[in-house]
Amino acid sequence: MGKWTKKSLVPPAAPDAAEHVAVEDLARLAEGTVGTVERVQLLRHINCCQQCYEILHLTLQQAALETPMKPAAQPWWKTKAAYALAAAMILIFVIGGQFAFVYLSRAPRFISATVDLDQNLRDVLLADDALRFGEGARLTRLLAALQQKGIDVKHLKLAVLAKPYYQKKSLFGPREVLHIRIENDVAYLVVAEVQ
Amino acid sequence: MKPEEILASSDILEKIEAVCQRRFAAENDRNECYIFVLDNLRTDDFKRLRAFKGQSQLSTYLYTLVNALVVDFRRQRYGRRRIPTSVSKLGQWAEAVYRLVCWQKFSVDDAYDFLQVDGTFDGSYEQFRQAIAPIQNAPCRESPGFKSLDNPGRDRLREMDDAASNPLEALISKLDRQRRIKAMQVIRETTATLPGNDQLLVRLVYGSEHPVRSAAKVIGLSASAARRRLKRLLLKYRESLLAAGIREP
Repeated sequence: MGKWTKKSLVPPAAPDAAEHVAVEDLARLAEGTVGTVERVQLLRHINCCQQCYEILHLTLQQAALETPMKPAAQPWWKTKAAYALAAAMILIFVIGGQFAFVYLSRAPRFISATVDLDQNLRDVLLADDALRFGEGARLTRLLAALQQKGIDVKHLKLAVLAKPYYQKKSLFGPREVLHIRIENDVAYLVVAEVQ
Repeated sequence: MKPEEILASSDILEKIEAVCQRRFAAENDRNECYIFVLDNLRTDDFKRLRAFKGQSQLSTYLYTLVNALVVDFRRQRYGRRRIPTSVSKLGQWAEAVYRLVCWQKFSVDDAYDFLQVDGTFDGSYEQFRQAIAPIQNAPCRESPGFKSLDNPGRDRLREMDDAASNPLEALISKLDRQRRIKAMQVIRETTATLPGNDQLLVRLVYGSEHPVRSAAKVIGLSASAARRRLKRLLLKYRESLLAAGIREP
């Protein structure tokens, strides 16, 4: 203990007749459970009375010996757990964000749609007997017809017809629709009748 | 818990014994301290224990009470009566020197500085050395093992640590004798001008080396608020010291 500061800072010895602070009040002070007004009164005496100061000092020493050293109370956001959680969240955003960007920025993997089979599409399907047709006039016409129907398709490299399509003779026959599934720039086409 | 039960508890008795052991080095003193405390706790049908109103924790109350009794015991045992008459007849300054050197194990030089700060000896150091000759010849065996309550196990290394952790002590220890005495007076005067809360905070943290957290609790502040206040108070001390012409060499 610093002998110079101790000598300078120790309160003066109170006269023997002085009214000392009650033991329980000193205990409450050590515990920090004294109200503001009362504390002012108690400290006024303790700062002038070596004996009461010494008892308080010894009681605080005792309390420090009794209580195992605990880390100082600190806000939750300064705890290790909070820092670990924050670091984990940053990592999740940094790493997961890249995956999310790749996923969201790429074109959808497939398009599925059903459209009425109008004359334009019928002409494409009836253009020849080939069930698979690659890049060429027929595929270009199919692409244009689909885009006209509002299907968001930019490019096709192949179209596959499930079965050959034949024109219906009856003018009052069942309505026909075309189920389209486009995956990897390949359009799979199925004509179906609906009642 | 009834008072009788408190003093029948082996745990509490061991704690009282431990307090006495910590406060006194000599076996005899420890035993007498223990008996003194127990006797006083039993006095008037456990009057002191019955005074507990439950406003604090019982354990804190007991420690405070035991500490108060230990202080009483020490005063009775090593009070003014034990100072040799050859010393007492020299005056209060001589008694102070005897207490400091014989009981509290300060050096004669330290005692001179402390007396200068207290204003109880006005003479020069040479005059002091001559004046204390009878004191040095006085018997000092009443309390050969007495440990200062506030200076257990002082040694050079510990003093260096103190200076490192206590900015006021660090400054004072670097000064020459004359300026050191002046600095101590300035610190004492500055402390006296502070509000009660601040006074006690400085006394506990820099005078008695308590952790800021403990001192903060006593004055009703958070530890961080107390640290901020201590910084401001150190600036105030610095200004006072500079105004008195004292600066770090």
